[in-house]
Amino acid sequence: VRALVLGAAGFLGLNLVDRLLLEGITPLCARRRRTNVLALRARRLPMVEVELSDRGALLGVMAGIDVVFHCAGHYPRLSLDRDAAIATGVRELEHVLSAARAAAVRRLIYVSSTATVAPPRPGRRASDEADRFPAPPGFGTYHDLKWRMEELALSFHGVEVSVVCPGACLGPWDLKVGTSALLIATARGLDPPCPDGIVNLVDARDVAEALFRIAETPRPPKRVLLCGANLSLAPLLAALAHRYGAPPPRPPILAAEAIRLAEAEEERAALGGPRPALSREIVDLIVHGVPIDARLAEATLGMRWTPLSQTLDAFDDWARRMHLIPGASLEPMEALS
Amino acid sequence: MNIEPFERAIKETIAELTTLRATEIRNEDRLREDLGLDSVSSMELLSMLAERFDLEIGIEEAVQITTVGAVLEIGRQRLHART
Repeated sequence: VRALVLGAAGFLGLNLVDRLLLEGITPLCARRRRTNVLALRARRLPMVEVELSDRGALLGVMAGIDVVFHCAGHYPRLSLDRDAAIATGVRELEHVLSAARAAAVRRLIYVSSTATVAPPRPGRRASDEADRFPAPPGFGTYHDLKWRMEELALSFHGVEVSVVCPGACLGPWDLKVGTSALLIATARGLDPPCPDGIVNLVDARDVAEALFRIAETPRPPKRVLLCGANLSLAPLLAALAHRYGAPPPRPPILAAEAIRLAEAEEERAALGGPRPALSREIVDLIVHGVPIDARLAEATLGMRWTPLSQTLDAFDDWARRMHLIPGASLEPMEALS
Repeated sequence: MNIEPFERAIKETIAELTTLRATEIRNEDRLREDLGLDSVSSMELLSMLAERFDLEIGIEEAVQITTVGAVLEIGRQRLHART
């Protein structure tokens, strides 16, 4: 298989690259000009510099490629300009899809988000692949952006597209500290203010496994949800605080308060301040989170999910090596339910 | 071994990543506190230098570098080892 990974230097990209290497596949690693490629350099992998705004360059990079893994969907740093974020995200994805079609790529696997997953249909306890918002849900920039991009990917013709919607990914190589920001803050005893809601957690290595299996499966699902555990955030943070010897977390804040706080943080960041301690998309994902039924991935791809306790242990070990969490590793975590 | 091109490249790259001018950057500056580089930008700095000078810099090593002087030192070590 001649594989191209867009976003190879990122969190999911690096986990996928490692999974492909285990299989004896050396992917071509696409990266932006300005990004951290130290981990890719250490693996001595072929790299190509390409911006998703350049369709011609994408077409050149995809020549002779069988499978494109698109792990580089637009993720705006801030949620303040919804229209600009959507315009960028959709335009870049159009470039990727049309280049893949023109280059006769056999399959394109696009990493979307559970932000596109609607509440379960009446009579069901969890949402599955049939539960998709019929229109952008209007919660915030991130949800609307991901919906628009997924809609484009699902309706595109001329190249076989599979859409993967992972929950909140945890695991090694989250160097930009996305999903794991609350976890790290809790481990450091910072007790970050946040709302409560359902979070869908999945090990980043499981996501990489699913991406690889989709590439290998003769008829993969058109859209598949990936989730290893559905949990309420507040008890999870309480369990983590206990594990790290931190005081019990403060009670969750209300959704409206969390949105106000996140917006104020983002305004500060837009003026050159530090990264928001609580970002708007994380608030939206938490307060609008729904339980996810990931049995389609189990049935069609043979997926089995890493227990959350093992995921948290692996993350803890990696985060300490990266000095994101100070001190020595903890004893293995007991299973969480 | 002439370290000056590396030192100049550090300051040019920091200027590219921030709103500072290369001439304003001193070796004793701290990447985060004095120059406003967060952890992501600091890693980008080291990555860009590693590519430009074809240096091996491990991630675990990179996360411990916090000053311009430390960036210069790792460059000095790597370039010296190559000569």
